[in-house]
Amino acid sequence: MARSPGPSIAESLREYGRGLAGGLIFSLPLLYTMEVWWEGFNARPVRLLFYVVATFVLLLGYNRYAGMRRDASWTEVAIDSVEELGLGVATSAIMLYAIGRIGPHTTLAETVGQIVIEAGIVAIGFSVGTAQLGSGDEEEDSGMAEDDDGEVHFGGQVVVTFCGAVLFAANVAPTEEILVIAIETGPLRLLLLAAISLALGALVLYFTDFARAKRYSPVETKRQAFRGTIITYAIALGASAVILWFFGRFDGQAAAVIVSETVVLGFPATLGASAGRLLLQS
Amino acid sequence: MKRPHKNWLEWSVFAASAVIVSTVLGYLGWCALQDHDTPPDLRIFTGAAIAGANSHRVPVMVRNVGESTAESVVIEVLLMRGKEEVESAELDLPFVPRQSEREGWVTFRHDPRCCTLESRAVGYETP
Repeated sequence: MARSPGPSIAESLREYGRGLAGGLIFSLPLLYTMEVWWEGFNARPVRLLFYVVATFVLLLGYNRYAGMRRDASWTEVAIDSVEELGLGVATSAIMLYAIGRIGPHTTLAETVGQIVIEAGIVAIGFSVGTAQLGSGDEEEDSGMAEDDDGEVHFGGQVVVTFCGAVLFAANVAPTEEILVIAIETGPLRLLLLAAISLALGALVLYFTDFARAKRYSPVETKRQAFRGTIITYAIALGASAVILWFFGRFDGQAAAVIVSETVVLGFPATLGASAGRLLLQS
Repeated sequence: MKRPHKNWLEWSVFAASAVIVSTVLGYLGWCALQDHDTPPDLRIFTGAAIAGANSHRVPVMVRNVGESTAESVVIEVLLMRGKEEVESAELDLPFVPRQSEREGWVTFRHDPRCCTLESRAVGYETP
């Protein structure tokens, strides 16, 4: 069977270069955040394993539904995801070494922990960068979760929404500020924050035609818009809860604090789930 | 549209990535199996004093052999002549991660060679 030659080396290098830029754009805030390094050596191995697996699932979802090769088979998507995860590990190892976080002075457990934490977000950045930062003349399909007949795929949109929420919320989730706001803010203000999040989600998705929003969240009636907004906010809250749990922000907290932390992080997560999600696909 | 096949560069990147990812997963899995929920266990070692202009500097190495991180660690180092405390010094370390080491210095006005050094971790948080 004759095989097509595949992309040229120069093309592949350009693609990796874009991925690298994307990986660093999304992960830089986390590479330069102390709490993230701490989490690298505080997190138990089981939690880190969960983190790697969760990152891989997110990569699969993103690559399948919003990535550059949405028409690719699951095998190809899996190959791409492994590649991005590996490049993420390599990139974050180099960056952490360059900023003096790892080296001969850190033990293996510390080193691996820190690299893994940073690698997750770098890998997702790689994926987004490869798909989104190109000039678009190499690949015709600019990555959108549609079926062949142009219909937006609901499951795919849920995955991309979750990716957007995670990408935005992860930048602030590990910081102490989330806990401080959660503890010091009263229930009425939290309710206001939730209302603002919902309003923002609705505004971005249905009323401003932000980054061709109509294409990915088409609605005919107010009721559909309402439903879409609620779903988006629910996904944002779910993403916040998972990230907060991972960064140990739920450990030993009262239920009320856990809820308010989730609402506080739910705001940036909603931004990611609405505006971020549209940018990921535009 | 069928996706074009990968070239040798992409296949080598994939192979290297697969090795990296499986190594990381294997290592974490192995650690997870070894992981017992033991509290921080700090061992403190002091080195030889170096005379300075106004003080004598003593290096302190703290090793956490437990499986949990110790946070806000306060280390006390005493200069003891027999049972008499000649001088004390303190060192604060923000973190001593599990299975890891941190280094610091304490200073004394007296020459530590006159006495024996005793050190202990006064207290720490577990995050």
